[in-house]
Amino acid sequence: MTMAVAPARSAGPAAPDPVAMFTSMVLIRVFEERMMELRTAGEVIGPVHPYVGQEAIAVGVCAAMAEVDSLVSHYRGHGHAIARGVDLDALTAELFGRAAGLCGGKAAALISDSRTNLLMSSGIVGAGVPVAAGAAMAAQVRGEPAVSVAFIGDGALGSGAVHETLTIAAVQRLPLVLVCEHNGYQAGNRTEEVYPEVSLLRLAEAHRVRAVGVDGNDVAAVAAAARDAVELARGGGGPTFIEARTYLTRFHLQFERPSSEVRPSDEMAAWRARDPIDTARQSPPLRDRLSDADVEAIWEQARERVERAVETARSSAWPAPEDAATHVWAEGS
Amino acid sequence: MNEVGLLDLVLEEEFTRDPNLVFLATNSPASLRRRFGSDRVRICAISEQAMTGMAVGAAMSGLRPIVDLNRASFAMLVMDQLVNHAGRMHYLSGGQYQVPMIVTSATRGRQQLGPQNEQCPYGIFMQTPGLAVVVPGSLRDACALLRGATRWPGPVLYFVAPELNRQRGLSAALAAAPLRFGEAAHLRHGDAATIVAIGGAVKVAADAADALAADGVHCDVLDPRTLVPLDTAALAASVRRTGRLVFVDDGPRSGAPAQILSRLLDEPGVAAATGGRIGFVCQPDVPVPSSPPLEEAMWPTEGRIRAEVQRVLGEPE
Repeated sequence: MTMAVAPARSAGPAAPDPVAMFTSMVLIRVFEERMMELRTAGEVIGPVHPYVGQEAIAVGVCAAMAEVDSLVSHYRGHGHAIARGVDLDALTAELFGRAAGLCGGKAAALISDSRTNLLMSSGIVGAGVPVAAGAAMAAQVRGEPAVSVAFIGDGALGSGAVHETLTIAAVQRLPLVLVCEHNGYQAGNRTEEVYPEVSLLRLAEAHRVRAVGVDGNDVAAVAAAARDAVELARGGGGPTFIEARTYLTRFHLQFERPSSEVRPSDEMAAWRARDPIDTARQSPPLRDRLSDADVEAIWEQARERVERAVETARSSAWPAPEDAATHVWAEGS
Repeated sequence: MNEVGLLDLVLEEEFTRDPNLVFLATNSPASLRRRFGSDRVRICAISEQAMTGMAVGAAMSGLRPIVDLNRASFAMLVMDQLVNHAGRMHYLSGGQYQVPMIVTSATRGRQQLGPQNEQCPYGIFMQTPGLAVVVPGSLRDACALLRGATRWPGPVLYFVAPELNRQRGLSAALAAAPLRFGEAAHLRHGDAATIVAIGGAVKVAADAADALAADGVHCDVLDPRTLVPLDTAALAASVRRTGRLVFVDDGPRSGAPAQILSRLLDEPGVAAATGGRIGFVCQPDVPVPSSPPLEEAMWPTEGRIRAEVQRVLGEPE
């Protein structure tokens, strides 16, 4: 294989702004809490997989991405979408099943957004990984300095598709970054119940893929690890697997009612004490740069922004029944 | 490419025309790789689902990938990527993304590959929306439909019968223009019965129709060429005229023949015209055994087709 090494033009963003990252994490938190309420109220449709507790990973990784880069998400993807800059009104309308939604109401949480190169949010665990590798291959074939990033959970390492893709990505030196949000649970199972070991780095290393562990609740650390991985991939250095340890401080899933899932209380308390938003607030750059009033203003602005999106979604029309049959076939079929 | 080498030459021409074409397989044609380089013509570890998933992502990112699965039995390995992703991303994204990709594979030949690797699974993909399903019935159509597939805006499953490789007329086949999907070939004309023949069974069906014609029984023979989209109009028009319908397929009766029949029965006048005079000469709904005497029962033959046509005509065999 000839390795198309991308030109060293600086497609990557400037070093991320800690205040911007903090603000983005707060927006995700407020959005997720509100979507759960609105699901219970019957306004949001479908399953809601809240991202609460993992915000630092989406925000840190997306801060390292350039506009030309592609993103593949999964069913717990609201946080990825918001961090990537997907339009909040269109996202919310989609979760309400409305015509003005990102995907016209066909997707609910399984969104795509071509404006931000968010290819898909697959409902099939692990299935987005080869798709992201394909986007990486496209950049390689065209000699474009674009990187493809896929978010997965620790559960995705149970899927052969992930391992098979890692092998091919290593051999073909694809500009691919896999971000494994290791939250210790695979739906109702604890990872140690179903995996031979809890560290996932060795699985990636076995495929000869560069593997990096990072504290997933530390947004600055995630951003730094992601920046290294993305720029390495962009320069032709091949794929990286990032294992970001974190925790879901709400639950896996809700439909009509909040989940009754029970977690060990000491485990929950320990992770809540390391909440990514509080951690960022108390870290040196923000501790000095933001007053309590500044922080309260950031929360208030997030609440206002989410309420505006909710009002817009509520006032949006439902799709027409005949739209159920549109977009089965691409134009020109 | 798999069993029909002429298709490699078609690909070389199409690769020259369209720089977005890339090829993924565990075994890529050497000449294609030499001419277009290992970036566009990739060999991969044996993972059909990784290759097919990569094709989805590459197609969504502006390329037009071709994945050669080799045998159609391997399609079973990639149902998730084909059904849940390739066929559904245009819909799921509300039309934002197209997924122009081609997955090629070989169906059944007289090769004694046995119950696993002798399969015609195209009927399965007639109930998975978003996927075009192409099954050429001649070498010429194999070339023309592959060219057509490289111009189709969505995912295409292309199933080719190894038997087509025995046909002559290579240069004419290679010169055939791209064929539009959804246009059946009307191969023989007659009012006695409509024979709908698919893929590798098209030739034997046409031969049987010729033999019947020599006895004064003139049949329509139609090859749909693409099962999705299906030229329902042409098939229904023929059945309304003849009032008798016989399916001939190397694949199982419950697959494409049953699917096509259900579409035709939705067409005005078709059910009344046939009055139940419908026959099948297909692989029974059992796996294909290896031993030749066992395998023999799995093929549509000229004799079986003639007998089935006579049966639906209500005449003694």
